[in-house]
Amino acid sequence: MNICTRIEKNRYVDSLDTLFMMSVLNEQEGIEVAFASLASDSFKETIKAENLLTDEIRALKGSDFVIVARAESEAAFNKALDIIDKEYASANKVEKKTYRTSKDAVKEHPDANLCQIAVPGEFALSEVTKALNLGMHCVVFSNNVPLEDERKMKELAREKGLLCMGPDCGVANINGAALVLASINNRGPFGICGASGTGIQHVAAILHECGTGVSQTIGTGGNDLKEPVGGIMMQMGIDALEEDPETRYIILISRKPADSVLAPLFCKIEKCTKPVVVFFMGCDRETVEKHGGIYASNLDDCAQRALELVGKSYRLESDEELHQIAAEAIKGVAPYQKYLRGMYTGGTYLDEAMRAMEGIIGPIYSNAPLSPEYKLEVSTNSIRNSAVDYGEEEFTQGRPHPAIDPGIRQPYIMKEARDREVAVIILDFILTPPGHMDPVGYVLRDVVNAQKEAAAEGRKLIFIATVLGTDADIQNKKEQCRKLEEVGVIVAKTNFVAAKLAAEIVRMLGERR
Amino acid sequence: MDTSKIQELFKSELKIVCVGPSLFSTAIEKQGFTTYQVDWIPPAGGDRELQALLEIMGGLD
Repeated sequence: MNICTRIEKNRYVDSLDTLFMMSVLNEQEGIEVAFASLASDSFKETIKAENLLTDEIRALKGSDFVIVARAESEAAFNKALDIIDKEYASANKVEKKTYRTSKDAVKEHPDANLCQIAVPGEFALSEVTKALNLGMHCVVFSNNVPLEDERKMKELAREKGLLCMGPDCGVANINGAALVLASINNRGPFGICGASGTGIQHVAAILHECGTGVSQTIGTGGNDLKEPVGGIMMQMGIDALEEDPETRYIILISRKPADSVLAPLFCKIEKCTKPVVVFFMGCDRETVEKHGGIYASNLDDCAQRALELVGKSYRLESDEELHQIAAEAIKGVAPYQKYLRGMYTGGTYLDEAMRAMEGIIGPIYSNAPLSPEYKLEVSTNSIRNSAVDYGEEEFTQGRPHPAIDPGIRQPYIMKEARDREVAVIILDFILTPPGHMDPVGYVLRDVVNAQKEAAAEGRKLIFIATVLGTDADIQNKKEQCRKLEEVGVIVAKTNFVAAKLAAEIVRMLGERR
Repeated sequence: MDTSKIQELFKSELKIVCVGPSLFSTAIEKQGFTTYQVDWIPPAGGDRELQALLEIMGGLD
């Protein structure tokens, strides 16, 4: 095997294009393993671990683009390069005019009113400042934006009376358009403002499934309610939804806001003339109700409280029903199988699941545990009952979110499945227009193989999954669920239900021993 | 606070400038909304020293 490289000095290729090239390259004959990236320090570390770091690559700058592979021969490498060049060219065939800067775009299209920004975090402030100064509202997908930069962009937005959704904003739905990683939702009377993308999407998807919908959803970014940022965008969001004639009810979602941020927020809630459902994780009922909010205890409850306002409800399995499902599922599970493994693509669901499971089977080990003593030493080496967030930076460095790139989590499914002590594996899937077109299909082969391997060894693996999205999404929620059910995966209605069911199975297996 | 500009957005047809990977503008176009794609590249080709120099000289737009 030879180490083969192609280096292009001063060529910028974004992480999605890099991913595309890598996935095509690694499928080619004669290529054992290939990497493509800007020659950043973290990339050099990655390929060093694979013994692919040559002196030539070591000397490159972060602005240089490199493809490196361990290949059978130089000829095989060149053949693979020809294929990616052709596929890349056809995938990027320019069908419409593109612009060099947002200023150029607005000069030609002065009617532009919203700017969606997905650039590396360190450049976000500069791009947002330009967009706000051009009079556009912003939705900022970039993550790893320093908090002081976030504060600056939001202060400028407030001064100009413009929205600055994000940064690190996974979800916004404005005028019916699903932006960044939002699902496509029906329109309806609920205006949602939240600091948790998954949380917003979760509630909006249930509203959609129950035949109602959202007027607007404003994702503030996960750091908005932290002290250094001060909840600027949530305060503006509440004001905007209160005044929006299409919004009849307001829903607020966040992990617990900083105490200094809570006071002005409750002040706003008190002044609202519209009903406000409040789910601030870890905030007690008394505080919320004292300030005139409708208290919700978790994401499912948040959706239920909202649905009650329009005379609807979402039927979820009772604990008794979950017990019955668990009793059926454990038939055929070997006596030595006793643990669960949660494989999540985001922190909100992981957190909610661990809280739900902890009450039934005790603490869960994780790369983002509820208490520090349960932190996994190595995130990819699960022990006992473990749950891992594959959306954490350690997995996504230089790669897109797992909703776009399901390849981040996929290699670990078989790893967990081959652990003889594992009985239950939990998987979540997110549907969104820029996401993978078939996230379930991507892992289905592994799920089936895992089940076959287990069966051959006299074990039984129980897979439990949730699909976050709607039937209006391009991937179609029903279709994704059907594929899972066809191979015997239990599809739970919500993340909380999936976690409770998984924990109940583990509890019953313990009881059975 | 004055939310008039936000109310105006809520009532307007969306015209979205997308800065960054074209995947996002394609996803919005698929839903039937108008986008203007900006093919963003790091200023000064990602060269930090040159960026700092350009910033001082007012060369970064």
